[in-house]
Amino acid sequence: MNHLTKRACLTTVGILLILAFCVLTLVLRQNAGKAAAYTACVYLDGRLLQSIPLDQVAENRRFTVDAADGGYNIVEVSPGGIAIAEADCPDQICVKQGRITDSLLPITCLPHRLVIELKPDSPAPSGASPDAVAY
Amino acid sequence: MSTRKLTVLALFAALALAIYSAESLLPPPIPLPGIKLGLANIITLLVLHLYRARDAAVVLLARVLLAGLLFGQAMSLLYSLCGGLLCFVAMTLASRMLHRHFPELTSILGGIFHNIGQLLIALLLTSVPGVLAYLPYLLISGILTGLFNGLCARFALRYLSRIL
Repeated sequence: MNHLTKRACLTTVGILLILAFCVLTLVLRQNAGKAAAYTACVYLDGRLLQSIPLDQVAENRRFTVDAADGGYNIVEVSPGGIAIAEADCPDQICVKQGRITDSLLPITCLPHRLVIELKPDSPAPSGASPDAVAY
Repeated sequence: MSTRKLTVLALFAALALAIYSAESLLPPPIPLPGIKLGLANIITLLVLHLYRARDAAVVLLARVLLAGLLFGQAMSLLYSLCGGLLCFVAMTLASRMLHRHFPELTSILGGIFHNIGQLLIALLLTSVPGVLAYLPYLLISGILTGLFNGLCARFALRYLSRIL
């Protein structure tokens, strides 16, 4: 095997390893199980603006977040989920992502530096599954 | 720099700008920040394989600055400059290491590093560690779009290397 083929093979193996890592991470995160309830954390410029326990939301409500550059995002909270209903950012990616109901992916509006993340509520100490309680 | 080369590089810069603006008209394929096709990178790849790294850098810089002036705002220029810079460095090193024989691999590495760069900027701007959850999605999309762009470059190079 000449020098060049060897380098190309090594690069390919490296890329495949990265791909395998990604797929594994995604599968593990999917199977990690969903929490019973989540708290939505709304961050603007890295500061926590609001944290909303989603299991205590009885009906849909909206509020507006004003970004530093003069833009806005209208956030819609619904029972068990949260979404960005409207925004004046150029790409509209945050609106298109729709409503999130688990902690798999946060909603990010990068032009306005807004992040909405769901964090699982943990009533019991971490790792306490029914088995652990029985034990 | 000869007039011929200057003209060809200017033509490549114009093509890259046209591809970039055409792509910006398409809706984003997946609504996640940072995921895009990056078709204009095909031109960077071509120049990198046909000429020297500094020529590719000039074409890339011309495209990014002109695109920023024509349809961008200052902030999106910043993201694309950071992702683009990291992507360019990775592709230059890769094409040198692979003796310009594997545009696909070069392009995939570029895609991976472009998306890592974008995620770092997002992390810096929002300072919320939760945005790291995007990493596997961004890496997979970088590999797939990189493979596509690299194959486009390979087929184009087959003809361009004959006439240039």
